[in-house]
Amino acid sequence: MRLPWRWLLSVTSAATLSQAHASSWNMPVGVTDISRDIFGLHMTIFWVCVVIGVIVFGVMFYSLFRYRHSKGAKAAQFHEHTSVEVLWTAIPILILVGMAVPATATLKNMYDTSEADLDIMITGQQWRWRYEYLGEDVAFTSNLSTSREQIRGEAERGEHYLLDVDEPLVLPINRKVRFLMTSDDVIHSWWVPELAVKQDTIPGFINENWVQINEPGIYRGQCAELCGVNHGFMPIVVHAMEEADYEIWLAERKEAAEQEAMGVDREWALEELMARGETVYQSICSSCHQSEGQGAMPAFPALAGNEQLIDDLDWHLDRIINGVSGAAMPAFRSTLNPVEIASVVTYTRNAWGNDTGDVVQPAAVAELITQ
Amino acid sequence: MAPKLPPQHSLQHSSTAVAGGPSQEHHAHVAHPKGVMRWLLTTNHKEIGSLYLIFSLTMFFVGGIFALVVRAELFQPGLQLVEPEFFNQMTTMHGLIMVFAAVMPAFTGLANWMIPLQIGAPDMALPRLNNFSFWLLPIAFTLLLSTLLMPGGGPNFGWTFYAPLSTTYAPASTTFFILALHIAGISSILGAINIIATILNMRAPGMRMMDMPLFVWTWLITAFLLIAVMPVLAGVITMMLMDINFGTSFFDAAGGGDPVLFQHLFWFFGHPEVYIMILPAFGIVSAIIPTFARKPLFGYASMVYATAAIALLSFLVWAHHMFIVGLPLTAELFFMYSTMLIAVPTGVKVFNWVTTLFRGSISFEPPMLFALAFVVLFTIGGFSGLMLAIAPADFQYHDTYFVVAHFHYVLVPGAIFAIMAGVYYWLPKWTGHYPNERLAQCHFWCSIIGVNLTFFPMHFAGLAGMPRRIPDYALQFADFNLLSSIGAFFFGASQLLFVLVVVLCVRGGQKAPAKAWEGAVDLEWSVPSPAPLHTFETPPVFHRAQSHD
Amino acid sequence: MWPVVKSVLAALLGVQNDRQRQHDFSTGKPAVFIIVAVLVTLIFVLLLAGIAIFAAG
Repeated sequence: MRLPWRWLLSVTSAATLSQAHASSWNMPVGVTDISRDIFGLHMTIFWVCVVIGVIVFGVMFYSLFRYRHSKGAKAAQFHEHTSVEVLWTAIPILILVGMAVPATATLKNMYDTSEADLDIMITGQQWRWRYEYLGEDVAFTSNLSTSREQIRGEAERGEHYLLDVDEPLVLPINRKVRFLMTSDDVIHSWWVPELAVKQDTIPGFINENWVQINEPGIYRGQCAELCGVNHGFMPIVVHAMEEADYEIWLAERKEAAEQEAMGVDREWALEELMARGETVYQSICSSCHQSEGQGAMPAFPALAGNEQLIDDLDWHLDRIINGVSGAAMPAFRSTLNPVEIASVVTYTRNAWGNDTGDVVQPAAVAELITQ
Repeated sequence: MAPKLPPQHSLQHSSTAVAGGPSQEHHAHVAHPKGVMRWLLTTNHKEIGSLYLIFSLTMFFVGGIFALVVRAELFQPGLQLVEPEFFNQMTTMHGLIMVFAAVMPAFTGLANWMIPLQIGAPDMALPRLNNFSFWLLPIAFTLLLSTLLMPGGGPNFGWTFYAPLSTTYAPASTTFFILALHIAGISSILGAINIIATILNMRAPGMRMMDMPLFVWTWLITAFLLIAVMPVLAGVITMMLMDINFGTSFFDAAGGGDPVLFQHLFWFFGHPEVYIMILPAFGIVSAIIPTFARKPLFGYASMVYATAAIALLSFLVWAHHMFIVGLPLTAELFFMYSTMLIAVPTGVKVFNWVTTLFRGSISFEPPMLFALAFVVLFTIGGFSGLMLAIAPADFQYHDTYFVVAHFHYVLVPGAIFAIMAGVYYWLPKWTGHYPNERLAQCHFWCSIIGVNLTFFPMHFAGLAGMPRRIPDYALQFADFNLLSSIGAFFFGASQLLFVLVVVLCVRGGQKAPAKAWEGAVDLEWSVPSPAPLHTFETPPVFHRAQSHD
Repeated sequence: MWPVVKSVLAALLGVQNDRQRQHDFSTGKPAVFIIVAVLVTLIFVLLLAGIAIFAAG
């Protein structure tokens, strides 16, 4: 097998920091100063372990070979030697102190979230990420975009299988970005290896972390903390742009958000709401309630043919706006806008044979939310 | 690990050969129950030890099958065999069964068999309690396994069952999971009390604490750890129970609770638990290596003291499992330093074993092979542990397959190889026969290849960025997972050889004398092989020469 | 008292010689060792916490 050669090559090349990007056998060097520091610590402690291992296992295998009973070795009877023992205790302690010093410095740097240029709120939700550019009125959710067919093996798997999203988090390079991280339901963990950021998002807590990216590029990661059935299907994609490109992108997003806000006041047609609703449903709702509204009992009730839903519009709206306490259904009052809520409610009330004919207007939803 | 069932009619096996003890009358006048009742009612430490070991071996295969379901799904990218929901139940059950039903009962079984024999006691101090603590286990784990058949499925939140995934968002069967864990915890505590009482009160006249073999020492310290931390586990699962069923909010942020509190409590139990699973292994290896190196254990005194120190320090490092939950900087530093320091006494043990080998006279019987593999592979697990201790680097390692590789190196070629080494070492005492050498060697080499093929690639998968507990993965992890899955099935299959060796050994084989291994020194080798049902009914005279001085 | 403290510190390092062990086990009381060990552990915790606080600045 040629694998060990690839490994050796990648270790040595990565150790010389000649490659900015991940070799697939080792931790990525990454694209931030901190990720480089961490990579350095990782390689240092790795080589320390290798050296200790070579010495210890060297002595051990030498003894096993040299002092074989079958070759008539006679056993010595010594059983202690205090100065040797003190020596082999002292050396590891010194090595560890030597490791602790740079590790402490790196850790302090990682914890210094002060003086950020930009704040982004990251919220973990089963099973997607929500990004909010604080003070900019820009917010969106980011969902897995790998198709079900690829996962089931019914379509060819793409290069970024399971690591692709509909909307990546866009960040400027060379600016200190502070992440404020929390969760709406269970504990998730936001991890992008090349940024060396891994932080749990915990309901009721706001954790802080930060990143300053040195190179533009697309960096991919995944949720790292078991968060339920679709834990393996909530990837993270960060698109790092030149600062100017980022400003353009941000301006576009702001404008789109304003357009959306204006849409609340006008009258929407059923077809319009259905089209929009399907998009929202497939990106937000289908991971639990399934793509055809068939649900997945016992946790996730079916929506298609759900009699309570069909009979009671107010109940239906309440579930979506306020969620269900003590169950997996989150409150969407702050994560979806009135247009999205109105369209997804209209969609679920009219799709899959639920033909209620109800049309819910965004304006009505907006009123409900402000109540 | 089915040792030969000790003969029912102990009268035929009066322990005439007991060291220094005169032959003695027997209390076999009492009619012993037959059949199932014999096993249900037995209070004999050897029979209960056998029960523990058989139970553990059974559960080892159950947990192993769960692991193979996981590995089969991970053989290739994509979802092929099982749904993510069931996959999560398998990873969870694999962990729970292996920790609580395979490794821990195996050590308790070895303790039951060997501690009375090693200290010259006729039985455990509290024989009926002993029976009770064993029979709690089948009840606990039948209950736990039955949750898989309940509506909503079994536990699916990982063996660490972090709240609120295991409370607010848990399947309905979680209450049964809590009950099962409570019962298993009671069993562990009762077993630990029994072991402490036995070691402190029932040593042969003349045997001082410092004359005890290291297996006895490590178990004594382990038992104290068990008594200290199992109540913490009981507390945390009771809080879960309250959150789920009685409307409290210990771990529910919406009600003012604290999900991180769960992790502190769990790991305050969980880290000493790691040492509970490894300290007795240290004891076994410390018995086997001197035996087959025909040389006294190097640094017996250091070993005893270091074990005690590790036990205390193990309470000070729990939050290194929580480096990324957002602890304050000071706490991160504290736990990084303490974790690095606990590596020192552990490393010293490895140095001691290696130095014991140096200038010995070494032979390579199956127990020795497993003990040597333990030293090498456990040390590799220790190295990755040292890497994980570096908190900044842990931000990259945490919750990846690197961690999975680390703790499997510590627990499979660590704890489980030590158990197998112990079984091979003491089988002649249990059955009166040597295990078949060729088959045992075959089992050893298959296990070594299997274990490394399974777990070594996981280091790379983790470093390359594969999170743990995912049912499907990105394409760049495919090679590593393919190798791991092949290794896992090979390792699993080769354990059938182990069963074969044990069964053959129970049924026959080369006869073993009382002192089955040339270099063995401890007291158990002074009773006949197989050890009769009742031993040391008259306390043996303990000769200091047998001690480690 | 000093020999007990010395033995406890030796345990923390994982180095002890046999003569000292013989001495400990034939003359010392277990309770004394346990109390001293717990105290030393406490001091160890405080020391380590002090270093951590200092290092955190």
